[in-house]
Amino acid sequence: MVKEFNIVIAGVGGQGVILMSELLGNAAVEDGLNVRGSEVLGMAVRGGSVSSTIRIGNGVLAPLVPTGKANVLIGMEPVEALRNIAYLWQSSVVILNTEKVVPFTVTLGESSYPEIETIIEKLSRASGRVVQLSAAQIAREAGSTLSANIVMLGALFGIGRLPIKIKTIKEQIQSRFSARLAPLNIRAFDLGYQACRKTLKGDNQ
Amino acid sequence: MKKLTLASDAPGERLFMLGNEAIARGAIEAGIQVAAAYPGTPSTEILETLAKVARELEIYVEWSVNEKVAFEVALAASICGLRAMASMKHVGVNVAHDPLMTAGYIGAKGGLVLLSADDPWAWSSQNEQDNRYIAEQAYIPVLEPSSIQEAKDMMADAFKLSEEFKHLFMFRSVTRISHGRSDVILGQMSQERRAGSFQKNRQWLNYTPVEARLNKPLMLQRFERIREAVNASPYNQLRLTDGAKLGIIASGLSYSYTLEAINWLELGDRISVLKIGTPHPLPEKLVRKLLESVGEVLVVEELDPFVETHVKAIAGEANIPVKIHGKDLIPRIGELSTRTITEAIARLTSSKPPIDFTKVDKLSEETAPLLPRRPPTMCPGCPHRASHYAIGVAARRVARDYGKDVEPIYPGDIGCYNLAYNPPQEAVDTTICMGASFGIGNGLAHIVNAPIVANMGDSTFFHAGIPPMINAVVNKAKITMVVLDNSATAMTGFQPHPGTGHTATGEEAPSLKIEDVARACGVKFVEVIDPFDLKKAIDTLERAIRFDGPSLVVSRRLCAILDQREKQAKGEKVVPYRVDRERCSEKCNACIDLLGCPAIMREGKKAIIDSSLCNGCGLCAQVCPYKAIIQE
Repeated sequence: MVKEFNIVIAGVGGQGVILMSELLGNAAVEDGLNVRGSEVLGMAVRGGSVSSTIRIGNGVLAPLVPTGKANVLIGMEPVEALRNIAYLWQSSVVILNTEKVVPFTVTLGESSYPEIETIIEKLSRASGRVVQLSAAQIAREAGSTLSANIVMLGALFGIGRLPIKIKTIKEQIQSRFSARLAPLNIRAFDLGYQACRKTLKGDNQ
Repeated sequence: MKKLTLASDAPGERLFMLGNEAIARGAIEAGIQVAAAYPGTPSTEILETLAKVARELEIYVEWSVNEKVAFEVALAASICGLRAMASMKHVGVNVAHDPLMTAGYIGAKGGLVLLSADDPWAWSSQNEQDNRYIAEQAYIPVLEPSSIQEAKDMMADAFKLSEEFKHLFMFRSVTRISHGRSDVILGQMSQERRAGSFQKNRQWLNYTPVEARLNKPLMLQRFERIREAVNASPYNQLRLTDGAKLGIIASGLSYSYTLEAINWLELGDRISVLKIGTPHPLPEKLVRKLLESVGEVLVVEELDPFVETHVKAIAGEANIPVKIHGKDLIPRIGELSTRTITEAIARLTSSKPPIDFTKVDKLSEETAPLLPRRPPTMCPGCPHRASHYAIGVAARRVARDYGKDVEPIYPGDIGCYNLAYNPPQEAVDTTICMGASFGIGNGLAHIVNAPIVANMGDSTFFHAGIPPMINAVVNKAKITMVVLDNSATAMTGFQPHPGTGHTATGEEAPSLKIEDVARACGVKFVEVIDPFDLKKAIDTLERAIRFDGPSLVVSRRLCAILDQREKQAKGEKVVPYRVDRERCSEKCNACIDLLGCPAIMREGKKAIIDSSLCNGCGLCAQVCPYKAIIQE
């Protein structure tokens, strides 16, 4: 059994971060794995920053991923990925949705949004690899932009290191959504998976 | 896939659940019959979970008007011989403090558990108080779980312990237990359902000075029995390592971080560990054994040095020459982490940290200035935004009559509407605790010569707003009290309250009207406004603020999230607004600067509305001086 596999999901309230951790956690339990996790609910759902952790393995005890110990950081939003940079180490993989959600403080002129290149440069320096995707665009292909989180979940499995079986996570998606929405979300998962595989292949050439 | 739920009697099966669900499951396994609570992050989902299975499992579940009543409901059930729990967030225990201080004298007949969900780092709270001190003050033993599995097991056990020792217990959770997730192995569910009965016993239950003096020694005896028993409790575990120079005492969740830190440093064979599940009272014999076996001790606990202080007292009394560390190395502020403890242990053992934390820190420091703030905001279409805007316009109009530089004062309260303290509205001047807006307003009225407009939500009004409203009437405090009535306890997830017309389990209930309560309490100016009917709302508020005496305005509009859900259910479409770029002026920024709606953004020098976020409330169209915002 895997000793420790740490996933951090960073995003904005409303992006479906919590649903992703629930699907992962349930799938891990189905596969007979130990799983711990944590998120901040409450204030964060009102459009604020959200981050969630899912930790799998028999060496895992605490709910929070230690500094520098993320195997994967899923950035549902570029700045939110950057906000969680302390979880990264040389061997970490970042899966980044490059579509921005500009915070209101930027509209007010109180702060500014960094260049996407700067964000990617920082994340690349802190990790082993940054896989970039346009999740909403891919989700649109699958049928609805609302499935961007499932696209990212597919991409997570695309890196091929997860201790959870693809079949199990797909069963979770299938049972979580209505009969009408399930096929769409499975499609979103597959497209995210393929997009990630394609990027990784490109990197290796 | 087999479909297991939190109410399945399936011992040995594993389920992935939220910490609060695990806590509720523990209570279910114990055969809880009465549960009462007031919503508050991070405790809310405990009662919500129980409410869902209440009918099926014959549990009486209620959202009480506040935490004091919730605790009294549970206490009454215990007195009648039933297993009962009151659950609340840490600051909620302050509201229940009064009965709590005498509950220790009473003890318990049916198992009685007070659940306090503490919030280190104050993620969703006004402070990060450590409720173990309240428990100590009230002679209430504390159970503190180290993991979510243990939270479930401990909760199931808490009711039995309470009955065994005829005493109530506090179960202290923290955010990362309550809002953590874990696989949990289910235990057996008690099928016992008791018939409660009240037996008169004035010596036990009527607290006049005579009974206080009679029952205090009995309480102390009960507590001494518990003090002895915790030495053998499975929740306290001493693991002595041969030749260890360092001992660690870790309480609650800190134990999980501590074990991870020791494993990370690969120091398992050099450190002795005492796991603490009962920080109050401490297992003194185990503590002593550890202290006598090592030269140095590190006490690891979140927030205040509660265990540390007691460990130092034990060492002092027994004259054990051991150096005791705690808050000199472990932060008193915020949550702990595997890293914090790793660093503390590395220092004490002169070992090298497993990774170069300074490198990570350097990168974080470089990154920090790049990050735009993303505070939570009121939703698009939130009626509170309109209410705050209307209050501001009306209050400033009146303030001019007080003097040239007079600014209105806006005492605020606990709820979504408090988010308006952020720019651009900055419409809240004080936030202290539930009900304090009216209370602080009462005090200001006798000191400051300025319009005072205090605001609080509907659920907060029923919870703690009525006494300070009466106080304003009787003591003639000239304040305007605005109740922002969105017909929901919105911040915590739309729990019912006395104004919503239904109970925790979905039954119909009388719906109290805030304006009726205010009139009955002697407020002479009481009016109801719709905050989206902006002009009328401002005029009414202005009259209220000018009124010679306390005035109360109910600003009533359904929460935007609930409104959207209702529309979706009815198949109604939201018709968003858009900016007519021709009419919009580059010199004007009114919609952005006055309202702070997340659906309105800037494109070049003009405003633009994100139609996917807009919920069609039309507030911005009413505010725009150029009539440039129109409905599609």
